[in-house]
Amino acid sequence: MYCVRTVTKDLYWVGANDHRLTLFENIHPIPKGVSYNAYLLLDKKSVLFDTVDWSACRQLLENIEHLLGGKPLDYLVINHMEPDHGASIEEILLRYPEVQIISTEKAFLLMRQFGFHTDGHECIEVKEGDTFSFGDHSVTFVAAPMVHWPEAMVTFDTTNGVLFSADAFGSFIALDGKLFADEVDFDRDWIDEARRYLTNIVGKYGPHIQLLLGKAAGILDQIKYICPLHGPVWRKDLGYFIDKYDKWSRYEPEVNGVMIVYASMYGNTEAAAQALAAKLCERGITDVAVYDVSNTHVSYLIAESFKYSHIVLASVTYNLGIYPVMKNYLEDMKALNLQDRTFAIIENGSWACKSGDLMQTFIDEELKNMTVLNERLSLASSLQADKAAELDKLADALAESLAEAAHT
Amino acid sequence: MLFQTTQAHEELRAKIRAFAEEEIKPIAFMLDQQNEFPDEAIRKLGEMGLMGIPFPKEYGGAGLDALSYAIAVEELARVDGGAGVILSAHVSLGSWPIFAYGTEEQKQKYLVPLAKGEKIGAFGLTEPSAGSDAGGTETTAVLKGDHYVLNGGKIFITNAPKADTYVVFAVTTPDIGTRGISAFIVEKGWKGFYFGDHYDKMGIRSSSTAELIFDNVEVPKENLLGKEGDGFKIAMSTLDGGRIGIAAQALGIAQGAYDAAVAYSKERIQFGKPIGFQQAISFKIADMATKLRCARFLVYSAAELKEAHAPYGMESAMAKMYASDIALEVTNDALQIHGGAGFMKGMEVERAYRDAKITTIYEGTNEIQRVVIASHILGKAPKSAGGSSSRPKKPAPITGVRKKVILRDGSPAEQVAALVEHLKKDGHDFTVGIPMDTPIAQAERVVSAGKGIGEKENMKLIEDLAKAAGAAVGSSRPVAETLKYVPLNRYVGMSGQKFTGNLYIACGISGAVQHLKGIKDASTIVAINTNAGAPIFKNCDYGIVGDVNEILPLLTAALDTGEKQPAPPMVKMKRPRPPKPEPIGPRYVCGGCGYEYIPELGDPDADIAPGTLFEKLPEDWVCPECAESKSSFIEA
Repeated sequence: MYCVRTVTKDLYWVGANDHRLTLFENIHPIPKGVSYNAYLLLDKKSVLFDTVDWSACRQLLENIEHLLGGKPLDYLVINHMEPDHGASIEEILLRYPEVQIISTEKAFLLMRQFGFHTDGHECIEVKEGDTFSFGDHSVTFVAAPMVHWPEAMVTFDTTNGVLFSADAFGSFIALDGKLFADEVDFDRDWIDEARRYLTNIVGKYGPHIQLLLGKAAGILDQIKYICPLHGPVWRKDLGYFIDKYDKWSRYEPEVNGVMIVYASMYGNTEAAAQALAAKLCERGITDVAVYDVSNTHVSYLIAESFKYSHIVLASVTYNLGIYPVMKNYLEDMKALNLQDRTFAIIENGSWACKSGDLMQTFIDEELKNMTVLNERLSLASSLQADKAAELDKLADALAESLAEAAHT
Repeated sequence: MLFQTTQAHEELRAKIRAFAEEEIKPIAFMLDQQNEFPDEAIRKLGEMGLMGIPFPKEYGGAGLDALSYAIAVEELARVDGGAGVILSAHVSLGSWPIFAYGTEEQKQKYLVPLAKGEKIGAFGLTEPSAGSDAGGTETTAVLKGDHYVLNGGKIFITNAPKADTYVVFAVTTPDIGTRGISAFIVEKGWKGFYFGDHYDKMGIRSSSTAELIFDNVEVPKENLLGKEGDGFKIAMSTLDGGRIGIAAQALGIAQGAYDAAVAYSKERIQFGKPIGFQQAISFKIADMATKLRCARFLVYSAAELKEAHAPYGMESAMAKMYASDIALEVTNDALQIHGGAGFMKGMEVERAYRDAKITTIYEGTNEIQRVVIASHILGKAPKSAGGSSSRPKKPAPITGVRKKVILRDGSPAEQVAALVEHLKKDGHDFTVGIPMDTPIAQAERVVSAGKGIGEKENMKLIEDLAKAAGAAVGSSRPVAETLKYVPLNRYVGMSGQKFTGNLYIACGISGAVQHLKGIKDASTIVAINTNAGAPIFKNCDYGIVGDVNEILPLLTAALDTGEKQPAPPMVKMKRPRPPKPEPIGPRYVCGGCGYEYIPELGDPDADIAPGTLFEKLPEDWVCPECAESKSSFIEA
């Protein structure tokens, strides 16, 4: 049975939802699923914008078949070649032998590398600024390199103002019938997963997102719909989501608050983290989030790190090093280019306390433009009453730094 | 080709020799003995137009060639090595860089009075950690609006403090080694520009040599010489020329000693004839004369090459190296020829013997000259894994950014007074205090005893000081653990109590790493220790090198205000966070793969040196990861 929804006149969502996949890219948990969005334009010519993951191919085929009603598919526009969108290309080519493929030079190269047999089909190579008409609808192709693969482009339909934005403006969470962002409570139910998607998948490429946003800024008043490859379609309040993207890609925190991440073997470091959280709340700082690094998937930690202005790392010393899971989190921050945050450090060690110095060195030398507060709390095994003054000083220092950040 | 000087050169030589013989020679011994600068003679040299020999007349110079200048230095050094270097440092080091790299305004303002001899010039490159290796330069210049703020110091600076104008080298871009060094013109008398003591030297005692101290000296932006980052290039090209001056000085010293030895060998009669006619002495004289002739040709030839704008870096290094090496040999032989008489103060050869030594050392040791010569022949050495120190990697002090003001001036009492002055200025109020038994972690102030305190009864000194300073008593780990002078809960350190208050006075504490980690958050650290090399001094804000038995009672008396008022709740004095080096330029991200080009690192695989800005990359440079062209990069 087909499952389609109308985006606007002549344009249909023909994608699929996936609740069976546990790990997106085989790394990030997606407990609420994900959608693979493809769009079909029925103009004088029929045009399919991108395909879906192999696991959703049958649904895509049924959807297209239903809408085409026996007519051939004329064009396949590939904005992004990553297999969660590109894996069904070959099946489309087999079913619609006359289809012409429109994509970038690099995307065609990748199709050949992945073994999607495009030979024998007409391949129309487009580049930045090229236009194409399908009848009533004319589109312009805009290069979107490194958002988040090098071959990516976005396609703008100048007739109806639809932007096929590829992975940009996407989100985790399956659509489950809803299609538009205004059909859900996005700011309540979706924003955290949208942030987790963007920061973990495209976080490293902030400058390239900025480049794309810059290009979009010129035609902002003409954009009526944003059709991403995952998550809901945007037709209202576009500024809300564009503003979020602008912040994330500039690595600007959304919340002036404190994220406390602890690595604790027997609960002693955890106790210190909780004590600090309480001290902060006592000072009126309630934008505080506490995470156990061992039991929180790092993709959630990264998303929260992009959200908060201040990050407290509390780690035990493990084999004279940083606790491995904490180290992994730090490495991920580096990989995803997180910058401009203020850190505070709580270190613990029962005989040779090393984690504080090591974390500080990592932050100073491996991460970009980070500030580490001087007030470090050092624990010998556990937090005892004699450290109360130091704990207060740490909380004061954070409070002061937050107040400074609020003023700038 | 006759390898001869012109008549004009010889006329100039005669003129300067007459001046040197008449004006300097009679006072040379006195200058040497009294470590005195020949102000009057130098003033006269200026009037004679000899302080700017190689500079064009339009800039107040004599418009003569480099060889004339070398002859002038040689002739002054012939009677007094010190006088030779005064001229050499003034012309080659203090004036030439302004002539070669200065703007028209800088030349008018600074070069003209230097060349006319109205002002004296000097050159500040050497530092305690930067001698042969300029990459170790620690003096910094930070751009603040329309001026740079200069901090640091220079040592062994010839013509200081007599000179009026100083060409000073300082780091404007940290952590990129020599490419981060810039040159500045600094005037004597500017606020914060001080001189250390005039050094008591072995030789060239008539030349003045002192330390330069820069304490937040504001240098107007327009006094930047050349561009930012040009400093190393300016310094090296200046020294290329400077070597001719030093070579000429060495030649002159040797010539003077030789002349004296020849004269003496004709006068001194032993075994019935002048000793010069004893073969032992005559052979010496023959050797000396040969060496002098060799040296002279090297020096003059280098000067001619320079004048002809031909490459002369290797030749000037050869001249400097050889002339100074043989200056030691010639002065040694000259003194030997004089016998016991030559060993006596007041003898020209005795002075020449001492004067000569410096010429193998300064403006590039002769070892460095050999490095220069060899590199001209063999090219750059292959990169070694260890790397050169031109990328300084100095570990930061454990206690972070500290003032490190060591109070050395005056008597111990004056040092203590200066310390108290500093502390009060920083905002420590000694009319209030805390109980001596306040837990360390809560204490605003702690007076702490190390093993240097000595016997247990000396703990009284600590307690008295703690009382006078309104502080709690602490100690190093051994004082509590081994000596048991205080309870275990009073020792400060990583494993003990951490002090995070405002004032920590470390008495007789050498500064073991684990102790220093326990006080790194202290707002102010004062160190009192007999060992000037103790690590605590590198980790303190104020230090006094001295015996606790002497210093502590003085400090106690100075801080004692009678009964202390109870201290209000502590307001933590802010500690500066260590400054981070500013990036030298923007990073760029590849549109083909996301690779980030970092100018500080360059691209070693493509032979792009660290420090190369993205825009300076060759046009055919491609992304090392995915081979995309330069044009697909965007600014990060």
